[in-house]
Amino acid sequence: MGDDSRSIVVPERLYKTVTVFSTLFAIVTVVGGFVALDAATKSASAKASEVSVPFAVLGIGLIAAGGLVYAFASRFRARGMATDKNSDDQQPNNG
Amino acid sequence: MSIERKDDHDHKAWIKEKDLTAIESTFLTVLVWLDRRLRIVDYLELLETLYYRVNLQMPKSHTEQYNLDNKFWYWYPLYSLGFFSTLSYVVAAISGALLGFYYSPSAAAATCGVDGSTVAYCAVAGIMTDLNFGFFLRSLHRWAAQVMTAAVFLHMLRVYFTGSYKEPREVNWLIGIVLLSLTMVFGYTGYLLPWDQLAYWAGQIGVEMSLSIPLVGDWVAQLMFGGFSLGQATLQRMYLLHVFLLPFVVTTVIAIHLGLVWMQGIAEPH
Repeated sequence: MGDDSRSIVVPERLYKTVTVFSTLFAIVTVVGGFVALDAATKSASAKASEVSVPFAVLGIGLIAAGGLVYAFASRFRARGMATDKNSDDQQPNNG
Repeated sequence: MSIERKDDHDHKAWIKEKDLTAIESTFLTVLVWLDRRLRIVDYLELLETLYYRVNLQMPKSHTEQYNLDNKFWYWYPLYSLGFFSTLSYVVAAISGALLGFYYSPSAAAATCGVDGSTVAYCAVAGIMTDLNFGFFLRSLHRWAAQVMTAAVFLHMLRVYFTGSYKEPREVNWLIGIVLLSLTMVFGYTGYLLPWDQLAYWAGQIGVEMSLSIPLVGDWVAQLMFGGFSLGQATLQRMYLLHVFLLPFVVTTVIAIHLGLVWMQGIAEPH
């Protein structure tokens, strides 16, 4: 993580909401995306002409959407959860 | 079970006052909207509270009291091996009962595509090829048996190396040795039931091992195998041991074994 990565401190309860729902969304879309991709390519056994393009695009899109949401959600954090040691709320202590 | 809403925080006002991009505030608004309706986080928090309340009521274990957890934590997964043995025993019992619907312990000649095949062999072959989910059922039974044997043995090693067999748990250690032996008898008797080449020659070895016992060898071979050469009597005895005698005995001994663990508690590491 570089310094350009944005981080937003949110209340703890909101942080839980973000974590739970974005992870849930990411799991469902990524798994669903692979299922769709599998169906479009008949488990990667279909010939190139037999591949259902809209379905394959849908699958890849779902996987990308899941990854995107998961990555996007990582910018929200609760107080005391620093991603780098130089954050304001992460004072050096015995750790 | 319904829970009261504890989350009084005004998310809307908070999102408005905070300096967020359009995507960020939309993202948070959507998630808060979902949270208000699905309330997954509220229920997770309920579970979290329950977990901590239960644990707060436990007395400190010796590992906690003397701060040994940092040296000992890697043993903890192995404390599940006893439960794992019990679980595989239950799976084997259920799948075995279902297999029993289709199996008959007869060494009489039968035809199912193999020369010299018997009714027992053909029953097992039929279970695997003709019966719906039969291949799965027999595999489940076999795997449960293999896993149980392995888990019971590893459980014994865990008990030995953590010193859990020591006073006041000597009796349960001895019962455990009996159970380990009975598990192997269970496995052996089941191994003979398909009455294929593996089973037949395993039976032959069994007879010869019995005969090698001093003084009582002949008698043991007669009792266990119904004679000195293998046949219908052998198969029938193995079947009866496997589905009648051993289930009663082993289930009872397991109940005593678990009952003692319940009464005496999980042993602290020595």
